[in-house]
Amino acid sequence: MMNSTNRPGMNEMVNELKARFNVEEVTFVQDHEAHVDLHRKDLHEALTYMKQNGFRQLSAVTCIDWPNEKIFQLIFNIYDWSKGNRFIFRVKIDREEAMFTTITNIYGGAKYYEREVHEFFGVVFEGNDSALKQLFLEQWDDLPPLRKDFDSRAYSDRKYVKREYKTSFGEKGGEPFERN
Amino acid sequence: MAKKANIKKDKVKKIVIDKSKSIIDAPSGMFSDKINEPFAHEMIVSKDRSENLTPKQRKRKWKSMANYFSANSLWMLMYCTGCCAIELPQAMTSRYDMERLGMGPMATPRQADILLITGYLSLKTLRRLIYTYEQMSEPKYVVGFGPCTLNGGIYHDSHAVINQLDQYVPIDLYIAGCMPKPEAVMNGFQDLIDLIEVGEATGWKDYHARYEWYKQNQKEALGEVMIHDEFHE
Ligand code: SF4
Repeated sequence: MMNSTNRPGMNEMVNELKARFNVEEVTFVQDHEAHVDLHRKDLHEALTYMKQNGFRQLSAVTCIDWPNEKIFQLIFNIYDWSKGNRFIFRVKIDREEAMFTTITNIYGGAKYYEREVHEFFGVVFEGNDSALKQLFLEQWDDLPPLRKDFDSRAYSDRKYVKREYKTSFGEKGGEPFERN
Repeated sequence: MAKKANIKKDKVKKIVIDKSKSIIDAPSGMFSDKINEPFAHEMIVSKDRSENLTPKQRKRKWKSMANYFSANSLWMLMYCTGCCAIELPQAMTSRYDMERLGMGPMATPRQADILLITGYLSLKTLRRLIYTYEQMSEPKYVVGFGPCTLNGGIYHDSHAVINQLDQYVPIDLYIAGCMPKPEAVMNGFQDLIDLIEVGEATGWKDYHARYEWYKQNQKEALGEVMIHDEFHE
């Protein structure tokens, strides 16, 4: 972790962001990559500003579940091809009422990322109705599966038939194999 | 030199064809030199026996011939699911050369004989796999690759993938290895060919016989087999 970098464009951009928006924390992970924690109200303006200043590509939108803090952290990953710099914006939203305003009118490609985040975490993106449709999990009938309180093994045991073996493997707890 | 010629003469003697008989009466040497195999045994028809064939025996004979020919012309559907699929290019290309076994790739399920299920299947894939399997014309054979198709493999506790494939479609043969090396794949193909030759790869008949049971299992895991997505609506 670094506090600053010599890479052209990085420090300037961070200073601009700090001056304009409610930036909570900035960490440089690499020379050309910074994590910026923002207040969620500022995200759309910050993204618009970044897009106007070279960051034309949205590489990913994803989410992290923090069940103890009762928050979801949304991650927006953007890239500037002219300088090779990457910024990762992180905002916190309420876990119980997981809602956020869509960014599809800034980055059109977010349409499918938001759909995925909705499917795996249950976050609703206002303004992107297509995000409510199913994507990978067809006819899903349980909690969104990437939430930390979802028990994958219990679901698998309940839903899928397991093969039964007459011999039990591993009951002896790794008895040493005898060589002759 | 003289010895060699003698041996050849011996062989030729055995394969004398009586042209007055129909093709099923041809001696076994015409089709296979593996005389000890049960299939080949069926094909040996002496002059006396062929005259006393009952219709049932005649039918069986035709069937064994059909098995022989379908075992030697197999079209494999190019449809891959999990990571085991990475070993297929080697099996298909010049180093291992699947075509010397009489197998070729086919792009459409309607003209394919073999469905290779190369690894884990999510529910979404399973739906499409059932569509594909039911489209294939009979006889059709299914080969499961790796532990993922057998018991879930390393994904046995995942919410996303099924554990036991033979609950949903009939499997004729499993190939071991995670992932199976090309040698194992080729070996598996040879085993499949042998199974077809002796008429023991009967998964597709089982699918008819226990259709209700298969459908029941499919419904339990999938809810509904019908696909509802942007491309099918
Ligand atoms: S058996 Fe192994 S290689 Fe094959 S799909 Fe499963 S995990 Fe991948």
